Amino acid sequence: MSGGAESSESAKAGSSRIEARGISKRYGDFTAVEDVSFDVGEGEVVGFLGPNGAGKTTTMRILTGFIPPTEGSAQIAGYDLFSSPLEARRSVGYLPESPPIYPEMSVRSYLVYVSKLKDLPRARRKEAVDKALERCGLTHVQSRVIGLLSKGYRQRVGLAQAIVHEPPVLVLDEPTVGLDPIQISEIRQLIADLAKPGEYGGQSVILSTHILAEVEAICRRVLIINEGTLVLDAELTALAEEGQRLEDVFTRAAQGESIALGREVGK
Amino acid sequence: MRHITSIAGRELSSLFVSPVAYVTLTLFALLAGFFFLAGVLSFDAQVAEAQSLQYTDYLEKINLNDAVLGPFFGVMWIVLLFLIPGITMGLFASEKVNGTQELLLTSPITIWELVLGKYIAGAVFSACLVLVAAFFTGILFLYGDPEFWRTISGLLGLLLLSWSYVAVGAFASSVTRNQLIAFFLALVLLLILWMLAVVADLGAAGGTIGADSNLSEVMRFLSASDRFEKMVRGLVDTRDLAYFAFMIGVFLVFTKTSVESARWR
Repeated sequence: MSGGAESSESAKAGSSRIEARGISKRYGDFTAVEDVSFDVGEGEVVGFLGPNGAGKTTTMRILTGFIPPTEGSAQIAGYDLFSSPLEARRSVGYLPESPPIYPEMSVRSYLVYVSKLKDLPRARRKEAVDKALERCGLTHVQSRVIGLLSKGYRQRVGLAQAIVHEPPVLVLDEPTVGLDPIQISEIRQLIADLAKPGEYGGQSVILSTHILAEVEAICRRVLIINEGTLVLDAELTALAEEGQRLEDVFTRAAQGESIALGREVGK
Repeated sequence: MRHITSIAGRELSSLFVSPVAYVTLTLFALLAGFFFLAGVLSFDAQVAEAQSLQYTDYLEKINLNDAVLGPFFGVMWIVLLFLIPGITMGLFASEKVNGTQELLLTSPITIWELVLGKYIAGAVFSACLVLVAAFFTGILFLYGDPEFWRTISGLLGLLLLSWSYVAVGAFASSVTRNQLIAFFLALVLLLILWMLAVVADLGAAGGTIGADSNLSEVMRFLSASDRFEKMVRGLVDTRDLAYFAFMIGVFLVFTKTSVESARWR
């Protein structure tokens, strides 16, 4: 699914949907994220890689407005996370590491509730919920209670709540964890569809994962973070041109090697 | 505003599919029924005894409000003190366990909308409990003639107490992710509030604090017991209404601060 150089250029030409500028997060003496800056353009699917504890989840929590950074700023769909937090949060769909679910609610009533929280106009609510159910393969379980669903279905419910209000920006923290291979490929297809311009608009997706093949399958660009610092921000095609395998790059990054490749990080 | 009703509506519907709501309602109805029946039977016995002994003075003075409803409301107060933490323990703690706190805090809603939505859900549920108590007092009107406005005033006192307890319980639930801890924290806070008047009186009597000292003044202000007793006697004072509004407001501000602090951890 990695698009050609042409389409990637056109995506970048569009206004940038996520603009992270010098984001740092410190807890006392501990630095979780240090001076991270990057852009995600319209319709771009960006893979966010890094070893466990590298700061992926912290970065994603900052971008979704869950926690404020210690330093730096971020814009989501043109809205600053600090000066217009409600507009910025309205523009994000977020699937946290563990999918947020109310076990006692039915799938459908949960999605209706989320669509209300996300300010989806009443007139569009039913249609949007139906669409999210269908896209995540939940239509046949929509009246079941979430707590009784399997882990894979709960993960899909989590994904459905992230996309139900059709936000311009999606932040997905390990979206395919706990799914079987068929479900994984369905979800990958879904994410690729979300980014396509057209009926659903080119949504910008940033997704974290530990599966490198997943990044190669659906992402055009990859960000690698290690010990809180962004060490790589490159197009997959650029990696391929230089004859680098993602796996090698990742291993080197995880070992703390600085990687001179692609765009300069932090620019 | 729409967010507040959405949040309150979801919370209430979740409460009513959970066993907690039914256990609480059943327990409350059973206890209310038991104490109401006990009150009525003892009133009946007193009247019969007074009649057989021809105590006309006593028969003149005795009435349903003082002899049945007063003690009944007093006991219901204590029952609410133990049951309301059970309703409120999950308000915020369960969101943390479900991971839905991340959904709420990344949604375009304000913390106040979240806190008020949760509070209203708890307040509506506790109003259901007070309705159960009102049902029993209503029975008295079928067979006797208690004073109507005095009874309403007592029920209003019960309602306002329960609403201030919901605010305390909401705060307790917002500081932890463990519902059991939330329950006991709320119970301890409510018991402390309950005992303030007693402690203030003790201090006055023992002379350690002194009846006129600022501390016992403050403790008496914070205590609900004098105010509740006034309302049971049928005295609705704006100062007492303001007290309940004050307690609710203070604990909701605490709750808001506590929920917001999740962002800084």
